Amino acid sequence: MGRYLLRRLAFALITLFAVVTVTFFLARAAPGGPFDGERRLPPEVEANLRAAYDLDKPVVHQYARYLGMLGRGDLGPSFRHKDFSVNELIGRGLPISVTIGGLALALAVVVGVTAGTFAATARDRARDRLLVTAATLGLALPPIIVAPLLVLVFAVGLGWFPAGGYDTARSYVLPVIALSLPYAAAFTRLSRGSVAEVLGRPHVLTARSKGMPTWRIVHRHVLPSALIPVVSFLGPAAAALLAGSMVIEEVFSLPGLGRYFVQGALNRDYTLVTGTVIVYAALVLTFNLLADLCYARLDPRIRHA
Amino acid sequence: MRDALFGSLLARVCCGFLGAVVLAAALGPWLSPWEFDAVDWDAIDTAPSLAHWFGTDGVGRDLLTRTLAGARISIAIALAATVVSCCIGIPWGATAGYLGGRTDQAMMRIVDGLYALPFILLVILLVALFGRNIVLLFAALGAVSWLDLARIVRGQTLAVKSEAYLEAARGLGAPTFTVIRRHVVPNVLGPALVYATLTVPGVIIAESFLSFLGLGVQEPQTSWGVLIADGAREMHSSPWQLVFPATMLTLTLFAFNILGDRLRDAVDPH
Amino acid sequence: MLVAELLRAIYPPAAARASVALLLVLGSAVNAAELRIGNGGEPLTLDPHRYNLNLEEKILADLFEGLTAHDAHGRIVPGAATSWTTSADGLVWTFKLRPDGRWSDGQPVTADDFVFAFRRLLDPKTAASLAFFMYAIEGAAAANAGGIPVEDIAVRALDSHRLEVRLARPFPFFAERLIYPTGFPLPKHVVERLGDDWVKPGNMASNGAFTLADWQPQGFVRVEKNAHFHAAGDVSLDAVRYFPTADRNAAYNRYRNGELDIIGDFPPGEIDWLRREMPDHLHISPLLSIMYLVFNVTEPPFDDARVRRALALAIDRELITGRVLQSAEVPSPTFVPPMVADYRSAVAAVAADTEQAAKLLAEAGYDEANPLRITLRYIAGADNKKVHVAIAAMWRAIGVQTSLHHAELNAHFAELRQGAFQVAQAGWFGENNPEHYLELLMSTTGDVNYGRFADVETDELMTQAKDAVELDARLALLRQAEVAGLSLDPVVPLYAVTIRSLVDPRVTGWHPNPRNVHPARYLGVRAAP
Repeated sequence: MGRYLLRRLAFALITLFAVVTVTFFLARAAPGGPFDGERRLPPEVEANLRAAYDLDKPVVHQYARYLGMLGRGDLGPSFRHKDFSVNELIGRGLPISVTIGGLALALAVVVGVTAGTFAATARDRARDRLLVTAATLGLALPPIIVAPLLVLVFAVGLGWFPAGGYDTARSYVLPVIALSLPYAAAFTRLSRGSVAEVLGRPHVLTARSKGMPTWRIVHRHVLPSALIPVVSFLGPAAAALLAGSMVIEEVFSLPGLGRYFVQGALNRDYTLVTGTVIVYAALVLTFNLLADLCYARLDPRIRHA
Repeated sequence: MRDALFGSLLARVCCGFLGAVVLAAALGPWLSPWEFDAVDWDAIDTAPSLAHWFGTDGVGRDLLTRTLAGARISIAIALAATVVSCCIGIPWGATAGYLGGRTDQAMMRIVDGLYALPFILLVILLVALFGRNIVLLFAALGAVSWLDLARIVRGQTLAVKSEAYLEAARGLGAPTFTVIRRHVVPNVLGPALVYATLTVPGVIIAESFLSFLGLGVQEPQTSWGVLIADGAREMHSSPWQLVFPATMLTLTLFAFNILGDRLRDAVDPH
Repeated sequence: MLVAELLRAIYPPAAARASVALLLVLGSAVNAAELRIGNGGEPLTLDPHRYNLNLEEKILADLFEGLTAHDAHGRIVPGAATSWTTSADGLVWTFKLRPDGRWSDGQPVTADDFVFAFRRLLDPKTAASLAFFMYAIEGAAAANAGGIPVEDIAVRALDSHRLEVRLARPFPFFAERLIYPTGFPLPKHVVERLGDDWVKPGNMASNGAFTLADWQPQGFVRVEKNAHFHAAGDVSLDAVRYFPTADRNAAYNRYRNGELDIIGDFPPGEIDWLRREMPDHLHISPLLSIMYLVFNVTEPPFDDARVRRALALAIDRELITGRVLQSAEVPSPTFVPPMVADYRSAVAAVAADTEQAAKLLAEAGYDEANPLRITLRYIAGADNKKVHVAIAAMWRAIGVQTSLHHAELNAHFAELRQGAFQVAQAGWFGENNPEHYLELLMSTTGDVNYGRFADVETDELMTQAKDAVELDARLALLRQAEVAGLSLDPVVPLYAVTIRSLVDPRVTGWHPNPRNVHPARYLGVRAAP
């Protein structure tokens, strides 16, 4: 088990390194520069700026320097947000993104597993059909549709929740719901399948025949094994959640990582883009490692490998 | 497979709907009295009417025609991306499955690693940095959606690997890659293509995200994502601009998912 | 109308607002004298020398006070200077600073602070992109190019409260030029101590009505009343928060939901409804600005004046402003915006004429078999998109096949400056000074003359105008230059942008004006009834 995790960790670090490299060179290979603006800078001024940001050196030199800085945990100065370093920007954006993403994922798992279990225990009855259809529909409702509708109805229409910002806990309600919907649907379908499969196993059937109440069977014998596929889907789900979170941050004017990333990409803010990609990738990889850890605890075959 | 597609009423309805969407996308812009980029100066931003069934957009273009033109682009991007993903996923999976051993382990470990990557970031980066280019969109989205396919193809390859004709081909001393190309790929192609269609909804969603972030196709071309993004901007005063494309997108994704479930069950019973 | 109308019928804004007010009473404590402004985007810097955006200028103008300043109606009035004199040749300007000017840390504002600021602005090491705003000063351009030391710029402190500025040539609009952040003083004692970190909250000392209290990037900028400001007694707000509302729909939603007090833009489709339901919130007025199309005249097909004229003639401005934009934009056949004071353009309006346009195209050698194919570039954004789709449709009516290409503001202008375009959207904002616009047609202007237009007659008239000391003679020459330039159609002026604002009726002291400036020192918030 220790070796398994160590191998996973090494693999994650190699992946992260690859991401850093690809992003770094991609950003610099693009046409246009970070100092493009409405007016052209005098050549002397641009030369001064390039020197200040180390852009006058060969790319390989810049890359080596960047890796050195990374080793010290320094993501460099932002090219566009002149008064802030990338560390400062990410330090402010990260908590917001993590809160939204984490809450959305948690909501999706709780709602999804509950609904999935509920459906599986009534297989092919009306309740099951309804939940499955609802889940399939949920998959077909991406945040770009749900988020504007939620704002229209619950913020502007009814005035129950803020339409943007992050001032109070209430501000998070609409974004989290919009972001979690497709994942709640995915977890419903996933857990319905696995719960139904485990319900058909002999030891569960035996417990049933002994007259044990359904909720106890589910709790004791079914969920522990049925959750394995759910856990293994957490990693990919977290990666996929990112795209949605960018849309959500845009609709609800949330100053999260996604906004910095999109703005940084559009404005060729090399350091900000590379920085956000690294943090995103590190987050997702860490999350995958944690999911692996849970997975290893749940699945005896891996525990003893 | 036939049963999967036409076995139940719901499946038949979904098939019919998707067929109708594809047909309408192919023929609609051609049948419609309006061109997708023609401006009706007397009907700017108007609600649905007899002349414009879905209403018009902010410059007086017929929304029905544009929704169908958008369907063309969205479906074309999805299909092109699927083709790209087949071109990568099928050889990858077949090679890994056929060669087995350490090579297989290494190749599948790479797939696992890529699963954990926030790939969409690289797609956004690519499009933002190198311009809104439709070919780039095809390639980028295809390049991120081949992972599932590679897994499935590998599984199928393992299943056919021990069959007699493969043993025979190997016995005759055919080079490994010839065997893979001539004998393995054709045998796993059917299920692989079925699975490939399952990536279509994912690509449609990804495209709509990019469009929503302002990275979609250039005007006057349009896609469902662009239409929804524009519609969401006018949803207070002109809700039809959001409602029609959003409904089309949702229904299409729904139908794809329903059929996808059945196809998956048919191809991969467990 | 469906959902939105239904909801509006059931929950009129008054009810929504009342429920929000109730929540505020029950829940979070919001300071009654804090104003929440939707500021249209995230400031990239609050260093007056490094700023580039109008939205940064708005915040900076509340933090600092230049020699001249805006009043509540956008008029130019004395600021940190109480008075000034100009020499007979129009070259030497002497400013008398107010004796009670203080930085927010209590230090006095002196002429030295201005000299320090002007030198820092023009120092090539500062890399100030708007340094050229001050090129009117003798030695400024040379110093900024690194040719002479900044100490040789003709700005000097006569004593602690008298500043002398010598110009390179007469410039009667200099007092107006000084209202930009590029003309603000800097707290020399703070900048010398902290370097570039002086702009951070907690470090910055400013001499305006407010000081920087907090800055959450992409979240908000918060400024608080400056107790040392010379008119602090008249400032009624305790604090202002500027929100980076880049998405006008999000801004509108937040305004409607009572989360913002003032927003500067909202979806134009809402105007009719707002006129009916919230007329006391709505303010629409023209902005001192010109939106135009610029042709790249160095390359075919637009090196041919007939082709340029044909495309100009095919555009119906009234259709664009009246039907497409629909929010009272002012169509403008002239390159100098119609609301520039004291200047009556001599350019005659010509109605759209597709027949004449088609004829000119045919003369230039384009017909159905050989149609003119061009790419029109525009800046990403909902209104821009509509306008340029409409223009492409108008050009299609005379047989021109137009591809559209949109890009973000920075990328768009980078392409324009490099001349990598055929025809493109451009806009120029800001001054009540015809030269500010007409300079764009001079061959010596450099890359903001995006199309590289060069006409001997226009250049000659512009140069004469710039040397004229007397204002009327200057304006007459400028009028002639505009007529000469536009007769060759290097640009197609389209319209002046509209300012669409929503201002909560509780806000006091807000007056619409063509510069769209609303200094927070004159604003207030009435307590909710």
